Amino acid sequence: MNGGEVARFVVSFLEQTGCHIIERSPSHVVVKLSPEADRALTNRPFYWSFVDRTGAEPETMTFAWYFEPPGNAAQAGAAEAAPEALAAAGGTGVATAAFPAASPASAPAAAGPLPSAYSLPGVRVLSEHLHFGSARLHQLFEYVRQRGRNVFLFAEPPRGGRAADPFSHAYTAWLGVNFKVSSECDMKREDLYSWGISLATGVIDEKFGERLQASKMTTRLSPEIRLLKSTLTPRKAMARLEAHLERKLRRGDFTWAVEAEARRQEERERVASYYRPLIERADSEEQKRALRERLARREAEIDWQYRPRMTVSVTNCGIFHFPGID
Amino acid sequence: MHTLHGVPPAAEAGRRIHPLVELRIDRSAFEELERRLENNGPWDNWTLYRLAWEAEQATRIGDFHELQSLRMLPRFTPLPHQTETAKRVLHEMHGRAILADEVGLGKTIEAGLVLKEYIVRGLVRTALVLVPSSLVLQWVRELNDKFGIPAIAQKKPHHWDNAVVVASIDTAKREPHRSLLLEREYDMLIIDEAHKLKNKRTGNYKFACELRKKYCLLLTATPVQNDMSELYNLITVLKPGQLGGESEFSATFVADRRVPKNRELLQKALNRVMIRNRREGSDIRHPRRIVTTVPLALSPDEQALYDGVTEFVRSSAREAGIATAGALALVTLQREVCSSRDAVFLTLFNLFKKAEEGSLMHERIRHLVELIKAVKANTKAEKTLELIRGMNDKVVVFTEYRATQDYLMRFFAEHGLASVPYRGGMNRGKKDWMMELFRRRAQVLVATEAGGEGINLQFCHHIINFDLPWNPMRIEQRIGRVYRLGQTEDVHIYNLCTLGTIEEHIVRLLHEKINMFEMVIGELEEIIHTLEREETLERRLARLFLEAEGEGDLRRGIDRLGDVILGLSRQRRQER
Repeated sequence: MNGGEVARFVVSFLEQTGCHIIERSPSHVVVKLSPEADRALTNRPFYWSFVDRTGAEPETMTFAWYFEPPGNAAQAGAAEAAPEALAAAGGTGVATAAFPAASPASAPAAAGPLPSAYSLPGVRVLSEHLHFGSARLHQLFEYVRQRGRNVFLFAEPPRGGRAADPFSHAYTAWLGVNFKVSSECDMKREDLYSWGISLATGVIDEKFGERLQASKMTTRLSPEIRLLKSTLTPRKAMARLEAHLERKLRRGDFTWAVEAEARRQEERERVASYYRPLIERADSEEQKRALRERLARREAEIDWQYRPRMTVSVTNCGIFHFPGID
Repeated sequence: MHTLHGVPPAAEAGRRIHPLVELRIDRSAFEELERRLENNGPWDNWTLYRLAWEAEQATRIGDFHELQSLRMLPRFTPLPHQTETAKRVLHEMHGRAILADEVGLGKTIEAGLVLKEYIVRGLVRTALVLVPSSLVLQWVRELNDKFGIPAIAQKKPHHWDNAVVVASIDTAKREPHRSLLLEREYDMLIIDEAHKLKNKRTGNYKFACELRKKYCLLLTATPVQNDMSELYNLITVLKPGQLGGESEFSATFVADRRVPKNRELLQKALNRVMIRNRREGSDIRHPRRIVTTVPLALSPDEQALYDGVTEFVRSSAREAGIATAGALALVTLQREVCSSRDAVFLTLFNLFKKAEEGSLMHERIRHLVELIKAVKANTKAEKTLELIRGMNDKVVVFTEYRATQDYLMRFFAEHGLASVPYRGGMNRGKKDWMMELFRRRAQVLVATEAGGEGINLQFCHHIINFDLPWNPMRIEQRIGRVYRLGQTEDVHIYNLCTLGTIEEHIVRLLHEKINMFEMVIGELEEIIHTLEREETLERRLARLFLEAEGEGDLRRGIDRLGDVILGLSRQRRQER
């Protein structure tokens, strides 16, 4: 994700969560969070439970987030950011008259100089860098993973061509699933599949993700649309999708697993060669047992480290209605 | 005990997808969809749904090999040898390695990179970092600031539950912590200063062996090849059997306790578990160190005080018996008088309090105090002020004495120069604050201490040694604060040297004779370690000063000492 992609992602998030964007440029955004976003991001459970119990008007936090790559950020008056930097370094209680104490501010991880300390009259604004890999962006990722799990949507009916195609207003349901497949040994790789299966016909579309990208979707079923009956339950459809995925994975390249297994065997032989003579030479049964136990532990560590395994997980999934029957 | 290694709880029991590979499926998001269909909602936002997939695509690990962590760390650029080391640890050593770079090449950074990479890949969730207690906070900061890894320092029992914990190894190996930790499994174990594990009868060693870990990094700057059995033990913590069984190892590789045989074969075996980057031939451009001795003639009243103190030290030492601890300590007075009258006054005052009323000692000290009162100016301080004004850049002034530090700050303030103090007794927060003040607001830092938890003064290029410690390691620490990894500019070092004093001899020995100010950082440690097996350098010097009969004798004695150090240095280079 480059700076532009991060910016687009963040702004989409802010808009969807009802936040108030005060100021915006390609390289930064100043935003007053919505209560929903504040609860999700600012880690103030006590404050929010206070608001919930007393019904007080919530005061959400305001952030200035900067997206530029660090190369550009450094030029813009790094020295001006002194107050933040001082506070971030945790200088507490040692202020002298010559050097006034800085107000405590939360330190962004991997902090560098901020372009400028943003200020609004009467409002405390926290400035942060938001780049790929930053803790704040990671937090947004987690939030959307939690809150973007299941949808139920309809493609917008094509405009104009009302009478042309009698089937254009006959919709069928699809189960769309986003799969993440991880292949793991002492290293790891991930593959993503965005597939769909028609609940009417059982047809599987491996380009379903692209189809979704290209379509306008809505939550409302317009009155002229007729839904055709499904023949598959979502559960059965899911089983078919999984089976399809499994077949695909079986045909994949397992060199990585063969190599990892070879490493595992080699390592097991190595520890065995170390412990075997020790066990043989041990004086007592008790010592032997202790050594055998130690060997078993080492072997378990090796299995843990190298054993090749794969995991399929569903990131999110939904029911999508499209015109026509495929 | 955690038994599901990295497998999400909702995953079903695995089935074989390949003779070697088990497949697990986590379909909890689908099960949720079924529930929502049954209840007719509620449904999530379409944009958030798409953003979730976008996040998944952005964080996907597309490749078994390429370092993923670097794109997560746009504000941090490791040096090429550090990236290379991280890659070798990941791909050739599969996450179990000894990092044995020479001092100052960034072992911590290499370890941090490896840890970050495994975390980003989801292969490490829990990590335990065991270090000497003085390094705990430094590690915590480094991991947080440089790598965005939310590590915490272990202080309370519940801190062990944090995913990434940094703890003192001496705490961790003691009950009740020990049993708690041995019950757990750590995705990664990192041990800094791992040469402390070399003895297999120690608690540290047994503890490190018993901890359950998947990946493991041992960090040490001490070349472990110097002792064959230590080397063997260290590797056994990591990979038992890597050098064969104990008897096999002895037969193949050990000629004598300190001498390996089949060096090439051993090197090859070591290369599979150990990485040692050296300064020579590393990709780091070394800025220069420009060392200037600033000779100063004492003013007549200062000279009178110096002579008075010297006479006092000689006669008192003769009475106490040369080479007694008390006599050797008296030499300190001579060093102090070279620094400031404030420093020597404080020590004399303490001696005065201890001495009996009306004793000869009392009389002599009273006399010296008269001499102190006669001193009106400090030649060195004036010269220092002149130097600072001339350089127009940040500068650290190091002194050995608190009293001198206070005096200098007062003196600078009187002349309109703001300075910031730094000393060992300050707590961490205060040290940080002083460092920030120096960085942002003041031209001068006056420091009595250079060691401790990694203060970092790369933004500064000038050091003034107002006086010199007699322990070369402390001098090296001073230089190391400024002249370190990441320093891009030449560093200027000024040594103030009062002529005709004990100080002149020391500067001559350290600078002209053994040229220690330009030695490779880290080199000295080994030499001094060898030298001080019998007696500390500080004591040797003090003895020389007391025993010498006249200037010429003293000079020859110091030259001989210099030759010994040079000899050790040559010997070390040859060994390598």
